Amino acid sequence: MRVFQRGFRSFRRNLVRNLIVVVLLFVCLTFSMSMLAVKLAADSQVQTIKQTVGNYAEIKISSAYQMKQFEAERTKTAAERSAEARSLTTAQEQADRVASLVPEKLTDAFAKDQYVKTYDKVLSTSVTLSDITNTNIQQLFQIRENNGQSAGGAGGGGGLGTGGMTSNSFFFSGNTNGASASDFTTGAKKLIKGRYFTYADYTNSNPVVMIEKNLASQNSLKIGDTIEATVSGVSGVGSTMELKIIGIYKTVESESQSKSSSSSSSSQADFNPAGSTFYAPLSVVQKLNNTAGYVTLGSYYFDSVDNTAAIKAAYKKDATGTTSKYQLSTDLSDYSSIADPLLKARNTSVIGLSGALGACALIILLAMVIIISNRTRELGILKAIGSTDRQVISQFAVEILCVCMVAIILAMGATALIGQSMGNWLLPKTTTKTTTQSSSSTPGGAPGGMMGNQNQLYKEGSSFTTSSSTQKAVKLNVVYRGTLFLYGILILVGISLVGMAIPVFWIIRLRPARVLSME
Amino acid sequence: MSEQVIINATDVNKTFQVKAGEVNAINSVSFTANRGEVTTIVGPSGSGKTTLLYVVGSLEKPESGSIEVAGRDILDSGTNLVRYRRENIGFVFQFFNLVPTLTALENVMLPMDLAGIRPDEQRRRATELLDRMGVKDRLLKAKPTKMSGGENQRVAIARALANDPDIILADEPTGNLDTATGSTVIDILSSLARENDKCVLMVTHDESILAVSDRAFHMVDGQLSEIIL
Repeated sequence: MRVFQRGFRSFRRNLVRNLIVVVLLFVCLTFSMSMLAVKLAADSQVQTIKQTVGNYAEIKISSAYQMKQFEAERTKTAAERSAEARSLTTAQEQADRVASLVPEKLTDAFAKDQYVKTYDKVLSTSVTLSDITNTNIQQLFQIRENNGQSAGGAGGGGGLGTGGMTSNSFFFSGNTNGASASDFTTGAKKLIKGRYFTYADYTNSNPVVMIEKNLASQNSLKIGDTIEATVSGVSGVGSTMELKIIGIYKTVESESQSKSSSSSSSSQADFNPAGSTFYAPLSVVQKLNNTAGYVTLGSYYFDSVDNTAAIKAAYKKDATGTTSKYQLSTDLSDYSSIADPLLKARNTSVIGLSGALGACALIILLAMVIIISNRTRELGILKAIGSTDRQVISQFAVEILCVCMVAIILAMGATALIGQSMGNWLLPKTTTKTTTQSSSSTPGGAPGGMMGNQNQLYKEGSSFTTSSSTQKAVKLNVVYRGTLFLYGILILVGISLVGMAIPVFWIIRLRPARVLSME
Repeated sequence: MSEQVIINATDVNKTFQVKAGEVNAINSVSFTANRGEVTTIVGPSGSGKTTLLYVVGSLEKPESGSIEVAGRDILDSGTNLVRYRRENIGFVFQFFNLVPTLTALENVMLPMDLAGIRPDEQRRRATELLDRMGVKDRLLKAKPTKMSGGENQRVAIARALANDPDIILADEPTGNLDTATGSTVIDILSSLARENDKCVLMVTHDESILAVSDRAFHMVDGQLSEIIL
């Protein structure tokens, strides 16, 4: 305690000299702490990004394989195609049906990988519901009729199928749990009545569905009502299935777009078309599509983007012999586009931090050399009148600690003020592309013609919906956090120890007899 | 050995390495100094007086010989020299050697602080000592730069007495003072020896001080010879 008092008194008595050192240290420490704040913010943001981006993967039909199939079909004439269709055996028809799908065996095997944290399977297809009308398709047919086009010619980009599309065709999306369907997890769709189908509904193949609110309203359907669906490729007994409505959802994006439209055009104020997508348990959709054991994609969240290479290697092992037909896609590029500028800012800040800390060390060393050489006589006196080396060193230690503490407290305050500006300065001026889902799902994509959005991942909304991209500037939020305070204490201790090196060396070697004889 | 003898130096040698070679600063020096007496060592500059004083004060370590203080050899490896200095020795220097950032009072309190005495006791004793040395109250809070040479030396003597040591080692205590002030300082030191039973060992080249000394030695080229007073 007495040592502290003596050191603190000494700090006060040499105030001007010490304040000069404080100011010099303050400048360097402010720069150091700001760099540290930027580094910590960038690290933290990258970690947060890692939790949501870069750790997603899905197994689906490869783009190359799809392109090959598409090219093969394109070379055939219409007559050849219809002759081929007529001559198909039941087995060939079934093979055709699953040609664009992924075997569940493969998606299940990959799900057992050590890095995989959550897993879902998705099958999306068109299903005919004899009792209700798809007003969207009806309108589309109307437009085509007006334009003198044939309905069968549609396809391509929007993902409209060609095979047997009618005004009773609806888009069915099946997975293992309604609540974890990407449309609901991304907030594009929101359940407003009833419940989601559960994993138990999936395992028990319970014939339940979730319907869009406008569609339900147009067809006077409510929770508990049933609708009849046609099972694809089956005739006679078992050709239809009764589906019970258990949930009603609304399309959030559609409403917000409708609102933004209303502000610019009053004629479209109430435009919010009925959604034509039904959500049902995967096993039910597989039955309706007559493709048991096949899915459109396997959807996975793994632990970290850092394991992307490992997870790709694991996939290659699981998919041996089939890698040309199926592909594992990840959102690594999304991660890179967001995280790279942050990582660059982080790396620059680390260099700046090292330089500034080096400068701090140099300043305190030089300052101590000057201070100690000016106070050699005082040290000699202290030792001559009975002060131990430890007492003198402790006094200087407290004094240096006071200098460094004042400097770092001021630096922390300054960092709170300029940290964000420093972050903005270090962050490369880049933008990142953010993909958002469009107003409503387009019916009939799979398996007939889903060429349009192969590169879009399921988790961004849906593989079968159109997307819009926006350019967003990457922002670095430099916030004052506890870790920075802890690092500040560490820097304080480090700089103080460096500062102590000179006095300790000097005090131990000092011979008071030499000093005291000097005039 | 008399009961009065407090310093008994025997065959003490001290050499310094310089560029030109080795210099015998103290050459087989033996002497005694008594409690209650002023012992003076006179000699020209460079004769080794100050070195001998520092050897007795344990600021320099001799190559050989023994120095017994109150019957105990301070050159024994078991002696805690810092403690010895703190408890037994009070230094008075030619250039005062007060800590410039401390006030007169704080300078006197400093040795007591290092010895772990309570702050209120330090203050009481320091005020008393400064009063005894004739330092005016208004100077208690003055820093050394604001005081005259004589005032500085009085404060330095008060500091030397702070821990009530048996021995006062004075190195040219009047060397930086005018004659009148120097005479006052010598009076203070001699009264300390006689009235407070201290051993005052003084080195000087001013032979007029011999008049107040009880014993005196002459030192030339590191060798000591007693002067019959």
